[in-house]
Amino acid sequence: MSIITHLPIIMVAIPILMSAVMVLLRKEPGIQKVLAVSVSFLLSIFSVFLLLQVWSGGIQVYEVGEWGKYGIVLVADLLSSGMLVLTSCVSFLALIYSLDYIEKRSLSASYYPLFSLLMAGLNGSFLTGDIFNLFVFFEILLLSSCGLVIANEQGGVTKSSDKMEATFKYLVLNMLSAFVMLLAVASLYATTGTLNMADISVRLSEMSSSGTLPWHVFAIALMFIVVFGNKAAIFPLHYWLPDVHPTAPSPISAMLSGVLIKVGAYGMLRVFFLIFTDTLYIFKPLIIYLALATIIVGATSAVAQTDVKRLLAYSSVSQIGYVFLGIGFGSVYGIAAALVYLVNHAIAKSMLFLTSGGIIHHAGTRDMRKMGGMVDSAPFMSLMFLTGAMSIAGLPPLGGFIAKFQLFDVGISEKYYFEIAIALLFAIFTLFYMFRAMLLMFWGEKRDVSEYGDYSTHGTSSLISLPIIVLAIAVVIFGIYAEPLISLATATADQILNPQYYIDAVMTGVVR
Amino acid sequence: MNNTLLSLTIAILFGIGTFLVLRRDIVRMIIGLGVLSHAVNLLIVSTGAFSGTKAPIITDNGGHGLSEASSSVFADSLSDGIFAPVLEAGHQVDFVDPLVQALVLTAIVISLAMTAFILILAYRIYEEYGTTDIKELRRLRG
Repeated sequence: MSIITHLPIIMVAIPILMSAVMVLLRKEPGIQKVLAVSVSFLLSIFSVFLLLQVWSGGIQVYEVGEWGKYGIVLVADLLSSGMLVLTSCVSFLALIYSLDYIEKRSLSASYYPLFSLLMAGLNGSFLTGDIFNLFVFFEILLLSSCGLVIANEQGGVTKSSDKMEATFKYLVLNMLSAFVMLLAVASLYATTGTLNMADISVRLSEMSSSGTLPWHVFAIALMFIVVFGNKAAIFPLHYWLPDVHPTAPSPISAMLSGVLIKVGAYGMLRVFFLIFTDTLYIFKPLIIYLALATIIVGATSAVAQTDVKRLLAYSSVSQIGYVFLGIGFGSVYGIAAALVYLVNHAIAKSMLFLTSGGIIHHAGTRDMRKMGGMVDSAPFMSLMFLTGAMSIAGLPPLGGFIAKFQLFDVGISEKYYFEIAIALLFAIFTLFYMFRAMLLMFWGEKRDVSEYGDYSTHGTSSLISLPIIVLAIAVVIFGIYAEPLISLATATADQILNPQYYIDAVMTGVVR
Repeated sequence: MNNTLLSLTIAILFGIGTFLVLRRDIVRMIIGLGVLSHAVNLLIVSTGAFSGTKAPIITDNGGHGLSEASSSVFADSLSDGIFAPVLEAGHQVDFVDPLVQALVLTAIVISLAMTAFILILAYRIYEEYGTTDIKELRRLRG
């Protein structure tokens, strides 16, 4: 029994433990800081180990309490462990960034505990193999992210009342979607008599092959589209996102846009391609058209924004549409393209939000009309924003180009001509709104000093610039040397489309 | 008869909850969310009470009561359409599924935390905006 076999539970238990320890240590900011950063670093190392373990040794199943399929199981397959690596690396970098960005008092009183809890919620929802447990981890995610959105940044650019308003919208909509998820889970349990996802999958496919699949399974699947669509902010359910992501402090915006909305995409991949495989023939076109609507609404709204973080938030809405487009294609290459897109967007968008934090700190406002000519006073931020904007817009040497190219290539080879035409048209919109922001903020004349005051003179600290540089290097590497990511994504997609691997790994467990 | 009344109660609770969530007053919205969560909880509990051939409670002697002890099947046999654990043909038992009650307990605790948080948030919104009218909360132009 080495530590390697216990990795799945460690990934969930340590952050939960840490959040309690952090509350106890709130009078000792120095210890808290060292502990938070070292634990977060340790978790990202562990997640890489877990991914390597899954890559070489197949799907890892950890039975909590050794109750076999009747208890809660943690399952690490390629999708889960890949998402774990992504989230723990992004959250490590966001944590380093927030050491210098969040107000000191708010940092030690509530920020560290809630951030640990957020990591526990993320790791748990990626690892769990029990559908009710997924609901519980979603709620942990929701409540801790609400607390983090309210956290105060230094300088106080965002008014407290704005944060309250945004959090209220976020919380009410997500509570409603939590009720829908609870309804769906209860109906699924009443239909199949089990909560284990692999077991549900076996029973539903058995019912389907004997022709006794009840009609309400389709209604349950639709409820899950509502739940995950709300988490990922796809078209009819996206209205909370452009309010919440800009008002949050920048490292939390990076977490929300980079990682949290991807939980919706993960849930879609897990639940639909494992449990509801027999209903996909109805829902694939639905997902594709919702994704197209999301792309259109997000891109057209982003064009008119004057607030830099609001623009980035609408851009997130638009980009998550591309991820869902790939999921909707539903073939190995479609899902692989969606995963590549997901990773590239997570990295580039976290980097852009972190950069926007530096820009806001420099300019003292979020309004792009009150900026201008910042390429002279903040050359580092402008270079980093250019890198991120090029990646999101899909320009060649960077990661976003590989992602968009692969997605469109799949769409054309599978004869989705109309869908790809629309996606391509709005990819040009992406280019337009990203470079419009670039022009407004960094080029042109310096703003009217007598009216808006001068830019802040003190430069960026190394704690703020380091995470941005690391993410920028990742963006460039995924663009120039994309083969490892693509082959990992293809293997993952292959595993997602053959639920038998997952079922075989989970169902061997016996009650002891 | 009892099942009909229970279903009717759940339906009415859903109706009241939805009506209250659509009000303009923040406090009424929160009460609506509470009513909705109770409706969902009742629905979950109601899925656990039925009579049939399924047997989720396992006691030490392998059954869930003296008479059913020997007639439970614990192994899945998909080719025969058996999803374990079930009773053998010819046996029937009335029972209440304990798992759904555990689920409801978890859901109640979660909704307690959510309600506490959202009530504090509503109080802060009242402090900041001086009103509990949801139509006044449009400073973000959402």
